[in-house]
Amino acid sequence: MHHANLAVQLLLPAFSLIIIITILAARRKNLFIRRIQGLSAIDEAIGRATEMGRPMLCSIGLGSIDVPTLQALSITSYIIRNSARFNTRAIVPVADPQIFPVAEEAVREAYVAEGRPDQYNPEDVRFLSDRQFAFASAVSGILYREKVAASFLFGTFYAEALIFSETGQQVGAIQVAGTQMTTQIPFFIASCDYVIIGDEFYAASAYLSREPTLLGSIVGQDIVKGLLLALIVGGTLLVSLNPVVGATFSAFLKGK
Amino acid sequence: MASLFVPAKGGAWDIRVVGVFALCVLLFALLQLTPKQYRKYVIQFVTLIAGLYYALEFFWPISHVTGPTKGEAEGNFLTPSMEQISDWLTIIAAFTVGLGVINLSMVHSKRLTKGGNTAFNSLVFFLATLAMVVVGVLKKSHPNSLTSNLYQILFDGALTTLDATMFSIIAFYIVSASYRAFRVRSTEATILLITAVVVMLGQIAVGQALTRGIHSSTLQVLHFEVVRDWILTLANAAAVRAIGFGLGIGGLAVALRIWLGLERGSYFDGQG
Repeated sequence: MHHANLAVQLLLPAFSLIIIITILAARRKNLFIRRIQGLSAIDEAIGRATEMGRPMLCSIGLGSIDVPTLQALSITSYIIRNSARFNTRAIVPVADPQIFPVAEEAVREAYVAEGRPDQYNPEDVRFLSDRQFAFASAVSGILYREKVAASFLFGTFYAEALIFSETGQQVGAIQVAGTQMTTQIPFFIASCDYVIIGDEFYAASAYLSREPTLLGSIVGQDIVKGLLLALIVGGTLLVSLNPVVGATFSAFLKGK
Repeated sequence: MASLFVPAKGGAWDIRVVGVFALCVLLFALLQLTPKQYRKYVIQFVTLIAGLYYALEFFWPISHVTGPTKGEAEGNFLTPSMEQISDWLTIIAAFTVGLGVINLSMVHSKRLTKGGNTAFNSLVFFLATLAMVVVGVLKKSHPNSLTSNLYQILFDGALTTLDATMFSIIAFYIVSASYRAFRVRSTEATILLITAVVVMLGQIAVGQALTRGIHSSTLQVLHFEVVRDWILTLANAAAVRAIGFGLGIGGLAVALRIWLGLERGSYFDGQG
C-alpha cells in the first residue's frame, strides 16, 4: 500500500484547500476561460453529423469507475445533450461492466434534461467486451457499419487508441479526442482532427458548461500549478546555489 | 470493528451471508423509496464516506500493523481492512458483468429476430458465448484432458489469436497515421518531421553509421544516437512531465469535486 510522506501530507491538503476555496469563491464571480479549440470543435462535429444525417460515436475508453472516465462521461453528457436538440443519434460503446450502468444513466439523463426522453435508445449504450482488442474490433465494426460522421474519443485509452482513430479516418468521420494517457496523445494528434491535451481534458466540463463552480475549480488548478512551478524553480535554485540545503529540501520532498 | 474483517467459518459465515443479503435488500428498498430529489444526497453521502476511508488510509501516519491475512505490514489502523474492502469492490464488479451480458444479449436477440445483414453476427455471438460458458464450466466441474483441450482451443487458439490479430493491425495504422502527421504543411509539422527523422535515424544501425565518422570529441554530440537520447530524455521528457503535472492537478480537482458533491452541469446535477 502507498502512504503519504510528510511532504505529501502537507502539500496535497494545502493544494486541495486552495481548489475548494476558489470553487466556493467563484460562485460569486463571473470568471473567464480561454478558448480551447478542440472543445469548440465538438459543436462543429455535432453539426456535421446532423447535416449528414449520420450517427456519432462517443467512446469513454477502457477505464472503470475512475476520475478520467467520469470526466469523459461528463463530456459525453454534454455532447448528447447538444445532439439531442438536433435529433442526432449518439452511440456510446462501453468496455467496462462497472461503468456501464453509470453510462446508461448518464445518457438517459442527458436526453431527459433536453426534454427528449423518447430519443433515448437503450441499444445505443452498448457494453461490448472488457477485453481490449475485442472491444477495439467491435468499435471499429460500429464505425464502419453505422457510417459514423463524428467520433469523440475521451477517456482512458491504450493501444486501441490508434485503431479507433484510424478507422474513424477511413470512414471520413470528424474526430475530437482527449485523454490523460500521455503515451496515446501522439497517436491522437497524428490521426484526429482536434485533440485536447493535458489538463484541458479536465477543464472540458467547465469550458462546455460554464458553470461557476467548475470555472472556479479551473482557477484553483491554475493557482496550484503556479505554486508547483515556483516549488520546482525554487528547488532548482536551492540545489544549484546551496547543495547542502538543497539536498535537505530534496530529501523532505522525497520523504526521506 | 476489526473482527468484522476477519474471515468467518461455519455457522458464523452463514449468518454473515444472510445478514449482508438482508442489508443489501434493505438498502436497495430504502434507496428506491427515497424521493428522487433526495437520492443524490444519499449518493453524495455514500461517496463522501467511501472517499474519506481511502483518504484517511493514505494520509494517516503509518506504523507496523497486523492484518488478517498478510500478517505484519506497514500501515495504519485502516490498512488491515483494505484487502476486504477491495474484495467488496470485486463482488460489485462481478454483479455488473451480469448487467453487461444482459445488455449484449438484448441487443443481439433483437437483431437476430429482426433478421438482415447483421443477424448472422448476432448468431455467432450467442454460439460463441454459449460455447465458452459450457466449456469453461465443464473445465472446472469435470477437469480432464478433453475439457482442458477444448478450453485451450477456444481461449488460446481462438480468442488470444484474434486479440493478437487486432494488435498487429496497429503496425499498419502507425504507418498511415505517420504519413499524414509528417506531411510538411506548416512550421510545426516540419519541426515534427525533422525530429522524427532524427529519432528514427538514431534508432537504426544504418542511421547511426552515418554519423560514426565524426571522431572529434566536441562534435560527438552530433551523433544521431546522442541527439536521439537528448530528444527523448530531455526535450520530450520535460514536455511530458509538464503535461503530467497539469493532468495530476486536474485529476485532483475533479476528484475533489466528485468527492465533496461539488460537481455540476453534467450527470450529477444542474446548478439551479
